[in-house]
Amino acid sequence: MMGQLVLRNLFHRPMRTLIGVMAVAVEVALVILIVGLTSGILQETAKRIEGIGADIMVQSPAAQMLITFSGSPMPIKIADKLAELKYVQAVAPALLQFNSTGGVETVWGIDAKSFREVSSGFVFLQGHDLQDPDDILVDDWQAKAKHVKVGDTYILFNHKWNVAGVVEHGKGARLFVPIATLQDLVGAHDKASLFLVKCTHPDHTEDVIAEIKDLLPNHPVRPLKEFMTLMTSTNIPGLETFINAMIALAVSIGLLVIFLTMYTTVLERTRDIGVLKSLGASKVLIVRALLTETSLLCLLGIAAGVGLSYLVRAGFLALFPTLSILITTEWILRAGLIALVGAVLGASYPAWLASRKDPVEALSYD
Amino acid sequence: MTITVTIRSRLDDATDPERKALEPILKTENLWKLYHAGKVEVPALRGVNFDVLPGESVAVMGPSGCGKSSLLYVIGGLARASRGKVLVDGNDLTYMGDAERTKLRRSKIGFVFQRFNLLPTLTARGNIAIAQYIHGDGYDPHRFDVVTKMLGLEGRLHHRPSEMSGGEQQRVAIARAIINEPKILLADEPTGNLDTKNSDIVLEMLRRLNKDLGQTIVMITHNPEATTYFDRVVHMRDGIIVDGVPAD
Repeated sequence: MMGQLVLRNLFHRPMRTLIGVMAVAVEVALVILIVGLTSGILQETAKRIEGIGADIMVQSPAAQMLITFSGSPMPIKIADKLAELKYVQAVAPALLQFNSTGGVETVWGIDAKSFREVSSGFVFLQGHDLQDPDDILVDDWQAKAKHVKVGDTYILFNHKWNVAGVVEHGKGARLFVPIATLQDLVGAHDKASLFLVKCTHPDHTEDVIAEIKDLLPNHPVRPLKEFMTLMTSTNIPGLETFINAMIALAVSIGLLVIFLTMYTTVLERTRDIGVLKSLGASKVLIVRALLTETSLLCLLGIAAGVGLSYLVRAGFLALFPTLSILITTEWILRAGLIALVGAVLGASYPAWLASRKDPVEALSYD
Repeated sequence: MTITVTIRSRLDDATDPERKALEPILKTENLWKLYHAGKVEVPALRGVNFDVLPGESVAVMGPSGCGKSSLLYVIGGLARASRGKVLVDGNDLTYMGDAERTKLRRSKIGFVFQRFNLLPTLTARGNIAIAQYIHGDGYDPHRFDVVTKMLGLEGRLHHRPSEMSGGEQQRVAIARAIINEPKILLADEPTGNLDTKNSDIVLEMLRRLNKDLGQTIVMITHNPEATTYFDRVVHMRDGIIVDGVPAD
């Protein structure tokens, strides 16, 4: 019976119900997409780093975990020192430069030969390796996003590059240029942002890490085998706080809209509440009815929000094919729970107000 | 001018010992109800002494603002008495909290209002069934069928209030009020929003409930003709009960 009353009440004012559902949907979609975007970027970056095939990565002391945004150049001569260590097979320097003009990407300046030694080389889908100073390699996702092919001109850092090859994605970055040219362009002569180290055998990784830490005590030295597990929001300073802040903002929106929706509902149904009280409905029953209505509205909103998340993700990926947005069951459930808790909190005050209404006053309300 | 009246009811036929043996199902003693308008105290009821025996039907008449509705709401547990005593089926409402009065209302009192006060989103069936749901015993199909048949509602159960006439809505309200077999049915001007024909139908329904089922009824009305359907008429003025004309 209560279910019938709740359902009928919800559909008695379809526009108000729709607005409530949309608010929850937006809230849920925001949470899913913000977490999905950050997780997606982190995971995709980590996959690409792991996909290089190197065993160890050495960064500068000021470098961040999220290497996408790291400049932090070190003297390139460190590579020679690293190459002298026991169990080190090859060392490849890389200069990372962030580009935000005409897109958002990180460009890697590499030495083709040493990179080949560390990574076992690129898988070429078109063209060839870096040969000339103005050559650029583009991974297949980037090539598709930018509609480029071998022989095209690619403008980056106000410089015209020649697309020498299109490579399979998953090896560190989406754009590769000769390190020397990039150093000249950005004024970082003889500098590198990181060094990739290949060991003679994977079992020697810990030994080499220990040696490198002796040689460069203040530099972060990470085994790439576990890089993906390290690339979480908790390991990126400020990222978890940012995510929590965005979630709090999303929940606030939902909570406020639900509060307003249920507040106007209670006002509109003042007489009905008086009627229920005259029939002997307890305060608990009245609160339960309103919270049940809120929960149902929220569930509809959660379902819509999940659908909206997938829709928005599809839209983003159509516009930005290189973007990675990770939607997981865990976060769908979490977003749903957060929305439900927020909605119930938002409806609590109006429900409490309703339960406390004087029945005589409520019955004479117009 | 002093008005001397004789209040008659069908219980007048009972012999004195039989009458004395009957305990009132509703009794007020020196009942006061005060409302506060800012710092001003407005007495709606001023020392009302009022008895209703089981199976009686009583009409309460009086000008607007005389305290009729306040009397109904206090004896129905919707409002709290400021002073005095209110006994409903042996339960003293005077010191009861809101939860206890709500419980009492649920099990012993049925209300019918002038404005019908049906829930607009539910059908007639839903409006009646929700009273059973709130009562806690759940849906009783047998009782439901008896009541709806008696009130002539079988063909209208799937309609919502907006699809029914005033008379039909009020009959649904009566069905809702009696579905749980309350000890007392309190009616606040149930014919106030009805035309003459529907008023007569509703009043006849109430009379039949009283005569055939022994339902105790207290009804507030402005309509002198309505009083002919009731055993006893009580007049109120300025918050007190004054003697009034007999029902017939």
